[in-house]
Amino acid sequence: MTEMPLTSETIEVETAQQAMELYSERGWTDGLPIVPPTEDLVHQFVKALGVSPDTVLGVEPTKGVVITAEKIAINAVMAGCKPEYMPVLAAAVTAITDPDFSLHGISVSTMGSAILLIVNGPIATELNMNSGVSVFGPGNRANASIGRAVRLIIINILGTRAGELDKATVGHPGKYSWCIAENEALSPWVPVHETRGIPVGTSAVTVAPGLGPFQVGQHHDDSPERILDAFVDALFAMGPLMTEVLLVLCPEHLEHFRAAGWEKEQIGQYLHEHARRSANEWASAGRPVTGSEGDSDQMVSALTSPESLITVIAGGGGGAWSQIIPTWTHGSRAKVVTKPVLG
Amino acid sequence: MSTQSKMRVLDPTGQPTVVHNGMAARPDTLDGSVVGLLANQKLNAEPLLEAIYDVLSERFELGGRVSVNKGDASRPATPEVLDSIASDVDVVITANGD
Repeated sequence: MTEMPLTSETIEVETAQQAMELYSERGWTDGLPIVPPTEDLVHQFVKALGVSPDTVLGVEPTKGVVITAEKIAINAVMAGCKPEYMPVLAAAVTAITDPDFSLHGISVSTMGSAILLIVNGPIATELNMNSGVSVFGPGNRANASIGRAVRLIIINILGTRAGELDKATVGHPGKYSWCIAENEALSPWVPVHETRGIPVGTSAVTVAPGLGPFQVGQHHDDSPERILDAFVDALFAMGPLMTEVLLVLCPEHLEHFRAAGWEKEQIGQYLHEHARRSANEWASAGRPVTGSEGDSDQMVSALTSPESLITVIAGGGGGAWSQIIPTWTHGSRAKVVTKPVLG
Repeated sequence: MSTQSKMRVLDPTGQPTVVHNGMAARPDTLDGSVVGLLANQKLNAEPLLEAIYDVLSERFELGGRVSVNKGDASRPATPEVLDSIASDVDVVITANGD
């Protein structure tokens, strides 16, 4: 079968080093060296997806930027991906271009959110993704390069570069790469993608417009209630009435919940009930509650509802360190989105 | 000396969809015009628009104002918001008051 031609402009270079310098000068990188996206490599990556290069996998809703398989493949090569990562990237593009995700807003805002990708299902195992020790740290090829590819797609295909369209005040280290797998094997609970409507056995990518993560330790108690009490202050630091916030629960904390017979939903219920303080206290902390001006004693939760908490199991076995990750506008104007990995 | 042959690499960038709608006809005067003030949800957008309206009021006999807040700075105004304000006003001023 004849390969469909690639339509992107081609540039001739003498060496890989020359390509890296050229791409850097043109603002086509995240500041780090890239793998030169040669025609042969890009063809391999498109082929791995089983579609033609001009297949549209997403349209950015605000600017109308069309994202094709070919452009995804070019940026995936640059990021250091393997061809077999392409289905995950295709699902990620479908997810970030969902209007609910508000991709333009979360990418350009002074608030400076990054895109956290959570991969679930069989493909995470097939790609040898990390869901364990140092899950947010360096060292895993798939985690690192898939997250980086999504950022290069935003820089290059959407044209959202720091200092140009991206006006983040202090930025976010996750804008280099922020991609994990959920530790489904360890968890007694329904995995995050299945709680969000993806059928059992289907792989999926969840994208979250995450702000700076807040690491919470609780090594001094093994009751679920006392562990969660340690999270309450972290939630107070974020603000009232968040409609979406992520909890990345580490295995050691998880084991205490399992031993006590807790279900996943109870975590959101407990935090919704206990992460409360008066509207006056919220205001004193510089986080006034909209609409509460007339009732300063009204008790207001950090969470809009128990379902506002999205719990993900990940991390290494040693240490009782979990994370809370608030989301851009606290979920009021951008939503966490989950899409299946197709093919 | 290197004997490596040249390699062909590909442009990774995309382009936004650009639609040229042109500009609406400019009015000769604002006398008698109902002015729409379309805020974008940012904190200072409404005060900025009100200040502009006050300046215009000193120069013209305006026909009144209609204030609308599109509610999300990160997204275009919805067709419903645009249709609604278009039916109620003669001219519109929009502002980003961050």
